This record gives sequence, C-alpha cells and structure tokens, in this order.
Amino acid sequence: MRRFSKVGIVRERSDSALRINASSRAVAQRLAVPFLVIVSLLLIVLGKADLLLLERVRIGAADAVAPLLTMLAAPAASVTAGIRHVEGLFDLYDENQRLSEDNARLLQWQTVARRLAIENVQLRDLTRYRPRGASFSIAAQIIANSGGAFARNVLVDAGSQKGVVRGQAGMTGEGLVGRVAEVGERTARILLLSDLNSRVPVVVGAARRRAVLAGDNSLEPLLLFLPGDAGVRIGDRIVTGGAEGVFPPDLPVGVVASINGDTIRVAPYAQLARLDFVRIVDLGMSAFLPEAVLPEPKAAPGAKSGANPFLR
Amino acid sequence: MRLAFFQRDADVLYRLVPFVSCVAATILSVVPLRVPGLAGAAPACALMAIYHWTIYRPDLLSPSAVFVIGLALDLLDGTSYVGVSPLIFLIARGLVLMARPRLVNQAFPLIWAGFLVLTGIAMALEWLFVGVLVGVALDPRPFLFHALATVAVFPVASYVLAQLQRGFLARV
Repeated sequence: MRRFSKVGIVRERSDSALRINASSRAVAQRLAVPFLVIVSLLLIVLGKADLLLLERVRIGAADAVAPLLTMLAAPAASVTAGIRHVEGLFDLYDENQRLSEDNARLLQWQTVARRLAIENVQLRDLTRYRPRGASFSIAAQIIANSGGAFARNVLVDAGSQKGVVRGQAGMTGEGLVGRVAEVGERTARILLLSDLNSRVPVVVGAARRRAVLAGDNSLEPLLLFLPGDAGVRIGDRIVTGGAEGVFPPDLPVGVVASINGDTIRVAPYAQLARLDFVRIVDLGMSAFLPEAVLPEPKAAPGAKSGANPFLR
Repeated sequence: MRLAFFQRDADVLYRLVPFVSCVAATILSVVPLRVPGLAGAAPACALMAIYHWTIYRPDLLSPSAVFVIGLALDLLDGTSYVGVSPLIFLIARGLVLMARPRLVNQAFPLIWAGFLVLTGIAMALEWLFVGVLVGVALDPRPFLFHALATVAVFPVASYVLAQLQRGFLARV
C-alpha cells in the first residue's frame, strides 16, 4: 500500500517536472533562432577581424576529419578517374593531334634549352655564380576541396608532421596552384590562386616587372599594381616574385590571357579546377639564412635528427 | 520489456538520422569529386538535406542542429567568412517552415520548384553577404552555376533522403 503511494508521488512529481520542462523547452525553442542568428553574426565579425583562433579552429576541424576525408578520397579518385577515362575516349583523336603538335614544338624547345644550358654553365664559370640553396618538396594528395561558390582552396593530407609550413608554395607539374594558408598536424590548406583572398607577388614577362596576382573567384586571376605604361602583352609569361617568407621565386604561374583596359587576366598553367595531387615546395632558405630565422619543419618520424629529410 | 527498452534506444538513434544525413551531406560536398562541367560548382548537398527534413520532419531538425551543420560546412570549406552558412541555413529553415503547409504532401515537381526558389534565395543571400564582407560586387556567375548544379542534383538527393526516411523514421 505504502509502496504504491510512493510511486504515485514520484509519478506526480515527474509529471509536473515534465510540464515545466516542456514549457521551458518551448521558450528555449522560440529564443533559439534569434540567439543562433546573433551567434552567426558574431562569428562573421570575429572572422572579419581575422583572429588566429578562428584559423586554428578551422584547421583543427579539418585535422579531426582528415582520416575520414582520406578514406573518402580514394573512391572519389577512382570515380573521377573513371569519368575522365570515358571522357578521354571521346577526344582521343583530337588529343593525339594536339600531342603531335606539342611534341614537334617541344623538340625545337629542347634544342634551344640544350644550347642555353651549355651557355649557362659557361657563364656561371665566368662569373663564379653559386646557385641558391636546395628547396624541399612534399607530394600531397588533395583530400577535400571547397565546394561553395566563393571559397577556392584545397585541403591536402600533409601537415606540420611532414614539414609543411605556412607560406610555402603548392604546385603541380604545370605550375603554381596557390600558397599554403593554414597548417594543421596532418593537413594543410592551400589557398588557390583563384580565391578572393589570394594575393601572390609575381614577375611579368621578360622585362621582369613586379605585380600582384589577385584572385577574384574566377578561373583567371587579375594582375594588379602594374603601372599604366607597363607594356604587358597577351602571352607574357608570369612567374612568382618570391618577395617574402618561404615563398620560392621563379616558379611558373601562367600567361597573360586577356587585357581589357586596366583589367589584365592571367590563365594559370595549372588546371585549378582539376587537381589531384600537389607538390608543396619551399625556398629552402637554409642556404643563406641563419638557423633561428628559418621556420623549423618538424622532422618526419624515422628521419635522422638534425638533417632536413626533404632537402634534396 | 527488454525488447521495448531496446526499441526505445533504437528510436533515439533513428531520431538522429536527419541530423546525421545533413552532416554526411556536408562532408560529401567537400569530397574532391570532379565531374566534368561541374568544375568549381559542387552542389550544395547540405541545403538539400535541410530542405527535405524541414518539410517532412521539422521536429527532428532543430535550429541548433541547422546552425551546427552550417558551422561545420564553413569550417570544412575553409572560408574566411565563418558564420555565413549558419546564418543562411537558419534563414532557409525559417522560409521553408513558412512555406511548409503548401509543400508537405505535394507531388515532387512542386517540391522541386520550391527548392529552386529556396536555392535562388540562399545563393542570392550568399552572394550579397560575401560581397559585403569582401567589399566588392562579386561576379554572380559562380553563384548561379552553384545554384544550377544544386537544383539539378536535387532529385537524386531527394530520392536518397526519402529512402532514409522510409527506412528509419516510418515509426518514429
């Protein structure tokens, strides 16, 4: 008898507790949306202030899901490869034609290059020129790319554990793709040349005029800060300027694709929309900077202590 | 008794299906799958999932869940404008809830048309917000392509989400 009444009391209590809970939950629900909107706005303001914290949270999140992304990248790569295979079958003839033409042109270039190489060696002998320090490079797979309409970056599966440092250059065999913007332990984010926030110091044409390559969310970035009478022509070759930090100079970037008044656009050599792997390269400033100034990449596990395993 | 207990546990898990599917859609949108013709315009998978669940099971996708999904998307996307997606998703959820009485139990073409309108609004807002933050008028074309890709892929996503709903949430 006593036991029953006890249960009754408990049930009553939990009922009223539930009712209070339900009403408070309703209030919370109603307040949730404005509260979350305010939090979103605060986040935007925080991000605009460019806090280092936000960057750390961002790359930390990427690091956390890196194993999952790496796992997904493999089937994604095979699907992509399959699509490209089928795609390739359709334009085999055109491709062959193009390659034959390329080959003929490149053979001519080879002759020129050989002659220049010999000349270069002779000139170096004459001037006792010592080439710059070796650079290191890491091959990294792209495990995620920004899917939105305005962010243009890729996440690669190499981070500080493999010696990646902020500011290094990301390349393909064809040319520069962008610069390392964020580095986590296992991942790094490369800001592509086409991103709204990408600014890369470059050198234009044979006259080596300095300019800045600025992304504007299109596949052909803009060339900025060129004086009006710079005499840039379509087809001028663009290489990196390497004015700061660990960013190497003289990496191929692209060619001037169009000139429209003050608007000069550059077609990058690298196909920014079809990247699978990138090479992360460093100036390798160890040759001419004191040890303390250098960004110290962590030694890869198993590497000999002291020596940079990526130095070649 | 024990069976009922398990049942309840399973139900709790099932109730997470909408949120988990949204998170999966978010991750899917950053997987580097390069379909020719879709370069630089991966469909906004998370928006599709949020639209679907807000119409059919709004009770299982709270505002805070929508906020978390937007935040996860911005962090994974690596944008400099973290907070834009949560804001847009919260607005989208509000809009869908308003239109819900006219959408629920309707034929698919109408649902698709509704999504077309929603995507248009979401992309316009994104274009506006990011443009204001960058301080220049952005080229609207990438946003348009992104919207088109998203609307084009919606039937597939809708089918998958409907299967999930039928499989896990029929009783919950």
